[in-house]
Amino acid sequence: RLRAWLPRLTQVRWSRYDPSYVEPEVNKELYRKPWEELSEEEKEKLELKAVQPIKAAPPALSTSVFSDPMISKFTNMMMKDGNKVLARSLMAQTLEAIKRKQLEKYHKAPEDEKETIECNPYVIFHQALKNCQPIIGLSSITKGGKTYQVPVPLKDNRKRFLAMKWLITECRENKNRRMLMPEKLSQELLQAFNNEGPIIKKKHVLHKMAEANRAYAHFRWW
Amino acid sequence: LRLGGRWSAAGGPRAQALRLIYTTTPVQRKNVGASGPEKYTEEFIKKQIEEFNLGKRHLANMMGEDPETFTQEDIDRAVAYLFPSGLFDKQARPMMKHPTEIFPEQRKIQWGEDGRPFHFLFYTGKQSYYSLMHETYEKLLNVQKYQDQLTAQDLLPQKEKKNLAGSRWLTKIELEEMLLEKLSDDDYSRFIQLLEKLMTLPCVDMEEKHIRKFSKEVPTQLKKVVIEPLKYDERGVAFSTGEGTRKTAKATVVVYDNGTGKITVNGIDILHYFPVLQDREQLLFPFQFLDRVGKHDMVCTVSGGGRSTQAGAIRLASAKALRSFVTEKEVEFMRQAGLLTLDPRVKERKKPGQEGARRKFTWKKR
Repeated sequence: RLRAWLPRLTQVRWSRYDPSYVEPEVNKELYRKPWEELSEEEKEKLELKAVQPIKAAPPALSTSVFSDPMISKFTNMMMKDGNKVLARSLMAQTLEAIKRKQLEKYHKAPEDEKETIECNPYVIFHQALKNCQPIIGLSSITKGGKTYQVPVPLKDNRKRFLAMKWLITECRENKNRRMLMPEKLSQELLQAFNNEGPIIKKKHVLHKMAEANRAYAHFRWW
Repeated sequence: LRLGGRWSAAGGPRAQALRLIYTTTPVQRKNVGASGPEKYTEEFIKKQIEEFNLGKRHLANMMGEDPETFTQEDIDRAVAYLFPSGLFDKQARPMMKHPTEIFPEQRKIQWGEDGRPFHFLFYTGKQSYYSLMHETYEKLLNVQKYQDQLTAQDLLPQKEKKNLAGSRWLTKIELEEMLLEKLSDDDYSRFIQLLEKLMTLPCVDMEEKHIRKFSKEVPTQLKKVVIEPLKYDERGVAFSTGEGTRKTAKATVVVYDNGTGKITVNGIDILHYFPVLQDREQLLFPFQFLDRVGKHDMVCTVSGGGRSTQAGAIRLASAKALRSFVTEKEVEFMRQAGLLTLDPRVKERKKPGQEGARRKFTWKKR
């Protein structure tokens, strides 16, 4: 009823900001560089930015060493009903659990193996996510009445999203009643870091399906 | 619509979104000038102007002021005094302005008494637009001819990269107002493409006058804000105040120099007032960005909102207060990091016929 006068256009997404507002850039290193070291493009970008209005930085973003965009994204995906406090504490407990497990392994290992054991939980998290990311995905395309699963290259954002989604669903569903989320998550992350575990298996299954449906690859038009 | 939006065509399930991104508020006025034939004759407008001038003098006499030096601001003040109105919409209140501001500019009749049109492009339907395109293209050809002459004599000057950051082209609505004709988005983009092509040529300076009619200056964002100087209290310590809001929370902050990094909120230490790590990170964000973490003391008063909102309000207030302590370049860096912008996001209202702002009622087939 409200949109009777707009025959085909419907408002899909709008924001309180004017469309001319630009995302803020929080990285301190960029601002520390002196004027001469900047390349031509960066100088032009700076000049442009001086004239554009900029949006406010969101509450989850900050310049502190502890804030990491990937970890924030993962925390937001873990969050339920807007309970950011709980999600963040779970994330902190997960990283602590990873560190504890790695330290235990480190102290038990003989001298020559001590250097190969990675103790930094952030490095483990990033590497595990990278190992979980699929390279190619499947998309359903309807042609001639039948729906085919066509192998399709994925964008970076989509790969990261799939990796994080699989991790979280895996942790929520395939665990014992008594096991808590941080423990299970740290277990999965360490397994993914070593290229083992159910999530890596899922990724390989997806790759095999894409390889099997190779014949339909020409259905893709983009 | 007062809010900026992105539109998408709701066609089949796989419709490609067409993005008509447009600007909002003052630029989004209705272009009445191009809508139809003349509604007001010239004599009518002249009479209105005479009446306006007479009325201005009467008003000046009524208010006891000199009719010769009665400016538009004085008129507005007098009208607001004599006819006070509580209406929210400023356009609905009584106003007295010069007729050229109230009656929009309109196209005069385009044909003579015998019915023959004056302009040679009248029958295209968009005569001013096509004549503008003709003129601009003619200028382009002239510049190219001049360039060819110079290349024949090997005198071609090098292209200096002009800084385009301080200027922008006219928007579609401003161009429509200039031409007094309706344009389509396609026409507008073609015109802008032609202008951009002109700008790429080295010898553009000879046609600069023509191009300047279609570009507007954009002032740097920083110049719009005034930075207050530092104040000194009885002990000789420099301090500065700042105010910030976010959703419904209001915060006032006093930042003292030569401090140890102690922060007090409503008389309580931040460790007790904000038990959540994220809020404390937000409070320290401006200090950490400027590398001044242990150097300032802060006393804040905050009211309203929730825990995250209060933290955001204090962050904005402290960033504003820190502007006085810091160089202009760093203020610009703070602005580009998003510390000095007021967050306009508020709770969206619930609509009738829906359960919440966006959630609809459960759809039941019968």
